Amino acid sequence: MSGLRPASRWDPLWMLAPTLLLLAVFFFYPLLVAAKDSLYAWDLLTPPRYVGLDNYRSLLEDGSLYQSLKTTVGISVVVVAGALSLGLALALAANRPGLLAAWLRGSVFSAYVVSWVSVGLLWLWLLDADAGAVSRILRGLGWSQPGVLTHPNSAPVAIALVVVWKIAGYAMVVFLGGLQSIPKSVYEAAALDGASQFHRFRHVTLPLLAPSLAFVATTSLILSFQAFDVVRVMTQGGPVRSTTLFVYSVYERLFLDLQVGTASAEAVVFFFVLVLLTGLELWAFRKRERA
Amino acid sequence: MLGAALALGVSGCDPRSEFERGRHRIQLWFTYGGRNRQVLEKLVAAFHRAQKDVFVQLVFQGDYFEGLAKLRVALAARAAPALSHVVGEVVPYLVEANVLARLDTWLEPGSLDLVPALSQAGSWLGGGERGLFVLPFNRSTPIAYLNAELLGSAQLTAPTTWEELREIALKLTIRSNAQVPRYGFGCPIDWWFWAALVGQGGGRIVEDTGEVTLGGAAGERAIEFWQQLVSRDRSMKPPPGRDYNAWEQTNQDFLAGRVAMIWTSTAFLRYLEDTAKFPVVAAPLPKQTRFAVPMGGTHWLIPKSAPAEDQRAAALFLQFVLGRRQAADWALGTGYIPVTRGAIELLEQDGHYQRHPNDRVALDQLQHAEPWPWSPRLFRIQREVLQPRLEAAVLAGANARQQLAEARRLAVKV
Amino acid sequence: MGFQKTRARVKLRRFALFASGQFGLLALTLLWLLPYAWMVLTSLKTLPEIVAAPTRLFPEQLQFGAYRSALAAMPLGRYLLNSTITALGIALLQLLLALPAAYALGKLRFRGRSLAFGLIVATLLVPAQLRFVPIFSLLAELGLTNTYSALILPFAVSALGSFLLRQALLSLPDSIIEAARLDGASEFAIVFRLLPPLLVPSLVSVFLFSFVYHWNDYFWPLVMTTDDRVRTLPLGVALLREQGTGARWHIVMAGNVLLSAPVLLVFAFAQRALLRAVAASTS
Repeated sequence: MSGLRPASRWDPLWMLAPTLLLLAVFFFYPLLVAAKDSLYAWDLLTPPRYVGLDNYRSLLEDGSLYQSLKTTVGISVVVVAGALSLGLALALAANRPGLLAAWLRGSVFSAYVVSWVSVGLLWLWLLDADAGAVSRILRGLGWSQPGVLTHPNSAPVAIALVVVWKIAGYAMVVFLGGLQSIPKSVYEAAALDGASQFHRFRHVTLPLLAPSLAFVATTSLILSFQAFDVVRVMTQGGPVRSTTLFVYSVYERLFLDLQVGTASAEAVVFFFVLVLLTGLELWAFRKRERA
Repeated sequence: MLGAALALGVSGCDPRSEFERGRHRIQLWFTYGGRNRQVLEKLVAAFHRAQKDVFVQLVFQGDYFEGLAKLRVALAARAAPALSHVVGEVVPYLVEANVLARLDTWLEPGSLDLVPALSQAGSWLGGGERGLFVLPFNRSTPIAYLNAELLGSAQLTAPTTWEELREIALKLTIRSNAQVPRYGFGCPIDWWFWAALVGQGGGRIVEDTGEVTLGGAAGERAIEFWQQLVSRDRSMKPPPGRDYNAWEQTNQDFLAGRVAMIWTSTAFLRYLEDTAKFPVVAAPLPKQTRFAVPMGGTHWLIPKSAPAEDQRAAALFLQFVLGRRQAADWALGTGYIPVTRGAIELLEQDGHYQRHPNDRVALDQLQHAEPWPWSPRLFRIQREVLQPRLEAAVLAGANARQQLAEARRLAVKV
Repeated sequence: MGFQKTRARVKLRRFALFASGQFGLLALTLLWLLPYAWMVLTSLKTLPEIVAAPTRLFPEQLQFGAYRSALAAMPLGRYLLNSTITALGIALLQLLLALPAAYALGKLRFRGRSLAFGLIVATLLVPAQLRFVPIFSLLAELGLTNTYSALILPFAVSALGSFLLRQALLSLPDSIIEAARLDGASEFAIVFRLLPPLLVPSLVSVFLFSFVYHWNDYFWPLVMTTDDRVRTLPLGVALLREQGTGARWHIVMAGNVLLSAPVLLVFAFAQRALLRAVAASTS
């Protein structure tokens, strides 16, 4: 084990105690309570009733678990793909000197800095079927039903794209960092070998960007799984539950329906799914790296 | 920036009106926006001018559902305000959960002169057999709104039966190729309107035994009527969205002339009349085998956990709000039904109904209003089990009988 | 002669490429800039104007009525103050806790170090929606609901902050610390006196990141606050989206401008530091 010997045996303790204590109270305790609550039927106002695994069973039976999972994964796929491709494209475009490029970097990143509420309200209005500019444009292009947020098929896509729009700036900055850390000499060597620009990109740049790609993929996955604010502000989980992400479903069940038991069950399942997915993703990238 | 925020904060920190000093302060959590919120604010200001002891602090909590959620969580944490209001469907649940204060400890129910159909006794079957827990605040029934211009030019009058509704909707629908620039009929796919259709078909949602039959055959007919209008006749515009988004969409469609005839709450009467660029005519809902409408809107309540001082202050406010003039002003300003007989008299004396015949519609429809069953589970059945299935049936074309059968099965477990 | 023609053609092609590149950059920039411009311009219109011509950019006349309504509907100063206090409190508290933790995890040897580190990082996977009801009940029992504590304490630990500071410390040579120890400095003094000046960029990064994130937070105030005393700005502005009687877009956008402006202002001044903060978190 690397590192210095502590001056006193108690040093690591006082240095970590407040952090670990607060973690215990505000992260692990709630997790355990959620696990326990998932075995009860409880509405906060009347005494809880033990129901064992019934909550899990009913979640499976009425299909809502599957529905939330499907919606969440669906939106995540679009978000991760969008963040990776758009972020990379933006980084390549903005990775040059000049005022315009600086403007590009600034304006794209500013969308990342403002709140989700801000972005959500903005696009809620722009996509509004009546007063929204985007809808008006779509109608001009011949779309008869331009209410993007009011159709169960287009609403989740719209949400995913809004998320991508917001986090593209973050991805761009990460990729910029990655691009700028590739030494010029590598490109020169490849050029000397007679590689075309495209070839250089595919076989030199991309592999060297692998850590950045992995990072953006992981963080945008986690982000899309937790995109509560934008759903709450824009669609409240609708229409017909087509944008009800896992986190939104937990909130709705818990806060609006006051079904603590079922909500906790759903939350526990969601937690494990997230752990699994994150683990899978990291494993996949590590494998690719090794290859 | 901290300095600026502090400066702004300090200046915004003391927005206490001149009324607040020296008075007992209670919080009123409310869930109105727009015009109705302004009317409420005026009412509260009038209360402050009329007495010196109590200050009511209005706290906005979002829409009905968000506000209800906040209230229930606050009740559980014993951090609830002194006064709030909730939709009728959730009242039995709250009473049975033993979180509401008895209002008859503070007020003499007989002295309030409430319209019987709107009081607790009239709003629920067996509502008068328990203590008094709620008082009517803004009560409404669904009514039909018609674009008088469009109907007039087609020489049609408001439909009085389902068949007439179907005919008129078809006649008023304009299609051009695949697009539909104007629909004849629009209605939020919401369980409230479904309940109306069930009643009109002669069904009952909950039997006397407590069994949740969801209207039986009448329940299915109600859904199928909608399905027919939406999918086969294509004369009804289905507004997607959830909860109050759908209602808002219906209003906007009506105002923009995209729909000729809509069903929505009498609560929007003032808003629609004032905003429409055409004359708006209100009409009662049609019948199938009989006339029937559910009641809606919210009721005042006082949480049991509020300290006695707060409860007394809240009751004082309620007494004021239910006074003749105030109840009349509230109905006038918003379009909700006046809740006391005195207020109705006042409005009649003022000649208000002659000038605004639309306001009379909801009032007259009260004779067909159906009280809710006293069912603590109804609220959850409505929201969790039934509403999604109504949407699935009408918006996504699922089979009505199947959906209701499934709903009945799940309702037992709720 | 043919050679000159080729030269000219090459120059033309290069220019065309350059122009289209610039055009591409401009188009991309507009994709992000235009929505915001639209938002600001919409807040200066009247509602009938917006509904009648949604694609028209500029208002006929500059109308400030929307701002008046927005300010009448919410105590802006109060919300700004609450947001600032909350975000500041969280960011500072996080630094206070993360610094010693990062030092222990990055510089000291002890049993259970990997476990502690793993536990801290694992919390990144636990979203707020999972945690809030038990925490709410706990705080309710302590009578702390609807207070600043309810908004600040649950976020006092920053997994990301601890991670970043640890990274920075790993690249700090051990000799500095050994020298300080030889000089007789206590570990406490090392952590809170010696290290901060050496870690300024990382500290600033963590602070900025955290401040902005929590200033923008919507969910936690949504479920933890019940009235305007501690309500924060994002929540206050979201409430402008009142349902039922027709969305008043100009007011909502006015509120949105008021919500975005402070953060964009901070961004304008601290752009470089913020960008560095994000870049630092990736290595």
